[in-house]
Amino acid sequence: MDSFSSPSLPSSGSSPNPEVVMEQIKAQLAQAYAQEFLETVGTKCFDKCVTKPGSSLSGSESSCISRCVDRYIEATGIVSRALFSSSPQR
Amino acid sequence: MDNAEMQRFLQQEQQKAMMSEMVGKLTSVCWDKCITGTPGSKFSSSESTCLTNCAQRFLDMSLLIAKRFEAQ
Repeated sequence: MDSFSSPSLPSSGSSPNPEVVMEQIKAQLAQAYAQEFLETVGTKCFDKCVTKPGSSLSGSESSCISRCVDRYIEATGIVSRALFSSSPQR
Repeated sequence: MDNAEMQRFLQQEQQKAMMSEMVGKLTSVCWDKCITGTPGSKFSSSESTCLTNCAQRFLDMSLLIAKRFEAQ
């Protein structure tokens, strides 16, 4: 019972503090976004950089992965700007 | 705290989630189309142009498809 009495799970009857609920929703969403992003980046960069998996990641594979992650983040920014910037053509 | 405020908050977060999903999906699609070689330390100008065009054309296409079904 004690493990369930955290403020995140208010017992039925007492109304939850909305500020706390909102913060929790935000935090959970942020975690979900980050997790999905990591998963996608992992898949994309594995495709690009580890074409023939060996007994360990080689130096060139590692540096490819780090460049790939940087570029993927950059690509996300470019796409985001392309979609939401006010000017239709850029 | 009123209900309306929570409602607004949830709507806002929902909109953010939709936008973030769209950016994520388009980045994935356009990455596959535009980044054909191994990633370098900088995007070439053709790569970044391709990403921009790809995202905007995908939007155009979505509108076109929506219209196509509206017309039926």
